[in-house]
Amino acid sequence: MTTYVLRRLMLMLPVAFLVTIGVFMLIHLSPGDPALILLGEDRTPQAIAQIHEQLGLDKPLYVQYFIWLGRIAHGDWGRSVTTHEPVAQAITERLPATLELGIVALVWSLLVAIPLGTIAAVRRGSLTDQVATGITVAGVSIPNFFIVIVLIFVLSVTLRLFPFGGYVPLTTDPWESLRHVLLPAIALGTAGAAINMRFTRSSMIEVLNHDYIRTARAKGASWRRVVFVHALKNALIPVVTIVGLQIGGIIEGAVVTETVFTWPGVGRLAVESIFNRDYTVIQGIVLLAAFSYMVANLLVDLVYGWLDPRISYA
Amino acid sequence: MRRVAVGLFWLFLLSACGGGGGGGGQAGGTPQKGGTATIALESELRTLDPLDSSLLVEREVFYNMYDSLFTIDPSLKIKAGLVKSWDISDPQNYKFTLQDGVKFHDGTPFNGASVKANIERFKTAANSRRKSDLASVKSVEVTDDTHVIFHLAKPDATLLATLVDRAGMMLSMDAVAKGGQNFSLAPTGAGSGPFEFVEWKRNDHLTLKKNPSYWKSGVPYLDGVTYRAIPDVNAILSALKTGDIDIARVIGSKDVASIKADSNFVYRDTPAIGFNGFELNTGAPPFNDAAKRKAVATAVDRYAILKNIQFNIGVVGYGPIPPSSWAFDASEKIYDHADAAKAKSIATGFSFTYKTTSDPVAQQLAQLLQSELAAAGITMKIQSEEFATLVQECEAHQFEACGVNWSGRIDPDGNTYAWWHTGGSFNDSQYSNSQVDAWLEDARVNSDQAKRRQDYQNAQKQIVADAPYVFTFFGVSPQISNTKIHAFTLYPDLMIRMAEVWKG
Repeated sequence: MTTYVLRRLMLMLPVAFLVTIGVFMLIHLSPGDPALILLGEDRTPQAIAQIHEQLGLDKPLYVQYFIWLGRIAHGDWGRSVTTHEPVAQAITERLPATLELGIVALVWSLLVAIPLGTIAAVRRGSLTDQVATGITVAGVSIPNFFIVIVLIFVLSVTLRLFPFGGYVPLTTDPWESLRHVLLPAIALGTAGAAINMRFTRSSMIEVLNHDYIRTARAKGASWRRVVFVHALKNALIPVVTIVGLQIGGIIEGAVVTETVFTWPGVGRLAVESIFNRDYTVIQGIVLLAAFSYMVANLLVDLVYGWLDPRISYA
Repeated sequence: MRRVAVGLFWLFLLSACGGGGGGGGQAGGTPQKGGTATIALESELRTLDPLDSSLLVEREVFYNMYDSLFTIDPSLKIKAGLVKSWDISDPQNYKFTLQDGVKFHDGTPFNGASVKANIERFKTAANSRRKSDLASVKSVEVTDDTHVIFHLAKPDATLLATLVDRAGMMLSMDAVAKGGQNFSLAPTGAGSGPFEFVEWKRNDHLTLKKNPSYWKSGVPYLDGVTYRAIPDVNAILSALKTGDIDIARVIGSKDVASIKADSNFVYRDTPAIGFNGFELNTGAPPFNDAAKRKAVATAVDRYAILKNIQFNIGVVGYGPIPPSSWAFDASEKIYDHADAAKAKSIATGFSFTYKTTSDPVAQQLAQLLQSELAAAGITMKIQSEEFATLVQECEAHQFEACGVNWSGRIDPDGNTYAWWHTGGSFNDSQYSNSQVDAWLEDARVNSDQAKRRQDYQNAQKQIVADAPYVFTFFGVSPQISNTKIHAFTLYPDLMIRMAEVWKG
């Protein structure tokens, strides 16, 4: 087990290396000059040249890349091109807000998806199933930004049930924090809820057709026990895969939601950094996102072993 | 050559500005002390140090935190700030008398030495964006605690207006030293303005608190001001309606009528100092041909743009100098009403590409221009680009037509020199006319305002006739608040000054 985890961790390094090259190239080859954005209304040819020199943008691209890589290897993520704030600090300051939003969104999606998916599978073909499937199709098809607009208009502007935007840290005031996070979390988690429900339903239907379910029923186990104890655990394996990817995607998944709700998280930082061509910050965020995907994938593989003891990593 | 910094303003922001009514303050009873106001900013700030600031929203915060050597009144007249009185009779040696007894928020005194240290910092720091603002200042001599002399390398008629803005904002040097590398993120104690810096959580909020020992007696009334960056005009409107913010500077033009009709809100505006339109590249085909530029300028229906895109907020524009300026020329309207037949007789049957941002309002404007020009037999192709790309390509002269607007500056120099003087830093159009150069240069050094006005009006006539830029409309400086906000004074420079505002 330990050897497996270590091997997987080692394999992450070359992947991360390739990701850095890809990201670096994509950012630098796209048009847009950070010096012009930085100077804005105060641009002069001298000032532009001075900023290029300060940021090292006057050097060849491969030199810039290796300088950056060398710094990363020493644990130095550099400073933001626009604000001079250390990149690591800029990201870690925003991480709690993003994690809070991502986790609440995920919890919301699972609270909706697993019961609905299970009921839909058990009552396959019934009206309940059709309604649940309808909700799923709507959840997946309606774009996130539209859900956001409707939620804001109905729950925030008209009914005044929730505040519009803003973030209160959990440590400052848990109740206010929850009130602020719910609307963006529902907006963010709804698409995920629909997908998770689809997976739960189809996986559940498959599991319920297995012989051991019939055996359990024949032994006299109650239907409720068969569904929730015998079937659900096995049915969750594909769901875990998809949820794992969703966890990995928390950091970049919230880009639209964070921007619309003025949520001070990593997603919004990413958008702002891209508009400002803040190379160092974009690279930092992408690197972090890549790592979070890889770690989430590893965790998913480990959870498989717990859910199904036949899967072994020895 | 020094130049007053010229305001590059995000296209979507200005095109989203509303207007129509008159300016001025809102009275409303006896001022009440206490309370806080939350203000929406249309984008996040990058720095809190005037030294390296380049965004409009930064200046908006600065004016409430820092004091400048000079201020303006709502008619753009230069007024005393930290400089109490001034003698500029010698055009190369400006003598300033400073306010007495002013203290920075960290308790250190403001005096002649502070002025010298600040100006030197702006002129010499590696990351300073104020160098071109202060290029005409050779040195600052401190006579005593309340008197300084600005020695100029050459006469500079725009200097006082420049010292209203960031180049004239005075900071406590102790606070700058204490802040070190993080000063621009947390300038604690650095200002002497009506409000003191408390904290800045980027992407979330920026908090200022009342300066209890402000040198102007009786103000501020509010206990504090909180800024929230909300980078979407629709989201700003939602936040106003939910009561999460009290004041906004920008909402979509389409929403102005409904806000005006809503008794829960107060909408005010005053003519702004910027201009709107698009650049034509005189250095490359097709617009190296002056006739084609004139044909486009003649075929554009400015009234249709104002009506359909701006919802009649603002006024039709003909040149770079807006009605709020002392140099405005009301007679300047050679391309007043669109005339497709006349445009056809000048030049027709050519095509060009118009670059603009993908913002919905910018797109609507582009489509309207396209149909107006089609009536004159001119084919306009629209190319949408992300803002950073657009700015880079236009700056590198890689365009035929480019839609960029300008927030403007108090002195007309800021709306003209960098744009149309040969080689000017904003002269994307590569326009060059020696006569225009001479007028703009003379207006910089001439201290006689009547003569300067004549220079600007001459230059403007020539620029408009040559059409390196097609002017379409002048926007407004708006302010939208709930009914609890009182005594707000509108300024044409788009800044929200909070010292005298109260809540009740």
